[in-house]
Amino acid sequence: MKHTGKLLTLLILLVFAATVAMAASGGNQKKGKYLYKKNCKVCHVEGAEGGKLTPLSKTQVQWDRFFNKDKHKVKADVWKQFSEQDLKDMQQFLFDHAADSDQPETCG
Amino acid sequence: MRRLFIMLAAILIAIPTGGFAADDLQLQIQELQKQIDEMATRVDSAEKKTATDRINWYGDFRNKADTLHYQDVTFNPGIQVNMTDFFMKVGGGALGSFAAFNPATPAAGLDPAINPTALDNMFNNLYLSNPNLYANLNAAMGGFDPTNPATFPGVMPFPLGTKSTYDINNDILYTTRLRLGMKAKVADNVNFSGRLLMYKNWGDSTGSKVFDSWNSYTMDGTDGGNTTGDWVRVERAYFDWNEIGGSNFYLSIGRRPSAYGPPSQLREDELRGGTPTGHLVHFNFDGITAGYKLSELTGIEGQTVRFCYGQGYESELGNGELFNEISTKDTHLGGINFDVVNTGTHFVQMTAFRAMDVNDGFKGVIAFPSQYAEIFAPTMNKDLQKFPNFNFVTRVQPSTVIGDINLAAIGYVLETEGGFNAFVSGAMTQAEPNGKAGMFGGLLSDAVFEAKLSQDGTEVIMAPVRATSDETQEGYSVYAGVKFPAPSGSVGLEYNYGSKYWIPFTQAQDDMINSKLATRGHAGEAYYIVNINPNMFLKLGGIYYDYEYTGSGSPVGTPLKVKDVQAGTAYSMLPVVDTAWDAYASITVKF
Repeated sequence: MKHTGKLLTLLILLVFAATVAMAASGGNQKKGKYLYKKNCKVCHVEGAEGGKLTPLSKTQVQWDRFFNKDKHKVKADVWKQFSEQDLKDMQQFLFDHAADSDQPETCG
Repeated sequence: MRRLFIMLAAILIAIPTGGFAADDLQLQIQELQKQIDEMATRVDSAEKKTATDRINWYGDFRNKADTLHYQDVTFNPGIQVNMTDFFMKVGGGALGSFAAFNPATPAAGLDPAINPTALDNMFNNLYLSNPNLYANLNAAMGGFDPTNPATFPGVMPFPLGTKSTYDINNDILYTTRLRLGMKAKVADNVNFSGRLLMYKNWGDSTGSKVFDSWNSYTMDGTDGGNTTGDWVRVERAYFDWNEIGGSNFYLSIGRRPSAYGPPSQLREDELRGGTPTGHLVHFNFDGITAGYKLSELTGIEGQTVRFCYGQGYESELGNGELFNEISTKDTHLGGINFDVVNTGTHFVQMTAFRAMDVNDGFKGVIAFPSQYAEIFAPTMNKDLQKFPNFNFVTRVQPSTVIGDINLAAIGYVLETEGGFNAFVSGAMTQAEPNGKAGMFGGLLSDAVFEAKLSQDGTEVIMAPVRATSDETQEGYSVYAGVKFPAPSGSVGLEYNYGSKYWIPFTQAQDDMINSKLATRGHAGEAYYIVNINPNMFLKLGGIYYDYEYTGSGSPVGTPLKVKDVQAGTAYSMLPVVDTAWDAYASITVKF
């Protein structure tokens, strides 16, 4: 029993030691969803100027690359209307719902 | 002089540099061309790989340790017997006559000089196994007057063994669950989804369990949530045909995503794992869903209505249909699932469906408990005593349709950005028995047995003839919980209560003791999830069950007060658990 207790303590310590911060961070995905719908969907729907674009259009790494490097260079002005936090929020939303993110296991 | 020297040096440096620059540029272009060619080759192979990878795979892998403890388990076997019929038959000679056994002097036993009749053997065995019961029966028979209904005993419980009560401790049980998810794109608006599953106890791949509870049945609808062995099963496989004809309709056919639905995804620490509410359904159904994304019309986010149809039991093919003796029917299910709103923060869901032509069990495989041979099969029991640790594996199928069940639930889940989650769900079930019964009973009612002679006339056997009741029975349940952030992860607290006649389809919930949501009584759970990294978590927790009524999760048999079984005034052919707890630790990796 004594040894079991020590072993358990060690296991818990190991688990906490191994714990690292979550990957995507800093953004509020619920706010990001709102901002995405309000701003991006204006152009990015079927038949509109920007063409259809959903979170599933890119992988998580591709969304990160878009936000960190591309920064909407085809229309750079668009980018400037957002604050840094707005962009983080949208990045979080798109990252969390990207093509390679976990998806609900439902039909339809 | 100095100025001249500097100019000369500059010219000397510039001339070769200028010469090298053109060559270098050429070299760089060549190098870049090489790189482009190499990249093109690599992209080609990546493109080829992507084009030929028809299925995208993902999955999760869970190893879990449980310690299971059952308190005051009572085994008090008995059946409901039509004693009026029995006395009539004994008195009228329908069961033969006494020859080697004199009921008035049971202690004398069988006369060795005379071949015993079926009735001799039955009464002699009864006296030997339970002299008190024999005395009571004999006294009742003495006062029985076939012409006077006032002396008719009617249907009475008939004990089939001696009551025993005990605790059970399974100190450690290890399990491994591997789930392999599949996605494939068939066309722009058609997708295939599937999930393969291996779920096993460590050191066990027999695929059959000794039948000591309804949890131990290896069968179609619940294999996904019960350990079966080291083979991979298809837990779900279906296609979605979306935006049919440009509309908001979709059609989905196949083995359904009908387990781990809301709000049970919170305790699984995953996204919504199934379509119908998890409060009512954790069962692997095969069927069809026709859905309509109402949100496009109403503007209410996530609003979707789904009409679901499924088959829970195939009554003919494979059941010996060519012998033409089948009296069961296919079990069909039909209903509606309505996601009223699903914003990611607020989720409201309503589910209602009807299970039609429910049978007295399912097709499945069990290992036959030797305890039943002792009670019901004296001839077989003689041989089985030579093989005390052998349980023959047998296929079981139901014998009769016992009624219909209506089920409905409404639930709300709150998931905040800060990680605070809460849910509450209310559900009810309504069983409509038809008064028929198989050997395990009728719909939420027991079987009434009547005595008859075996085909060769050498043994009195008991056969189920009807159910004890055909009254509609309603049950209800509440399920509530919270999950909130804690250091390195989250903590969850859940509680559910089920009433006497509560009968949901949650038997594929993978709790080791029993589906906690099927509990007729109280169940509470606490857990702590530690996120090791985004794709790996540790879960520590425990579930406590306090059963008030017997038969949780079984549509067959009258729910009896656990206290009555413990007191010996009620009988059950399966051991009855009073309270139980399961403490567990699991580590899950997702990939």
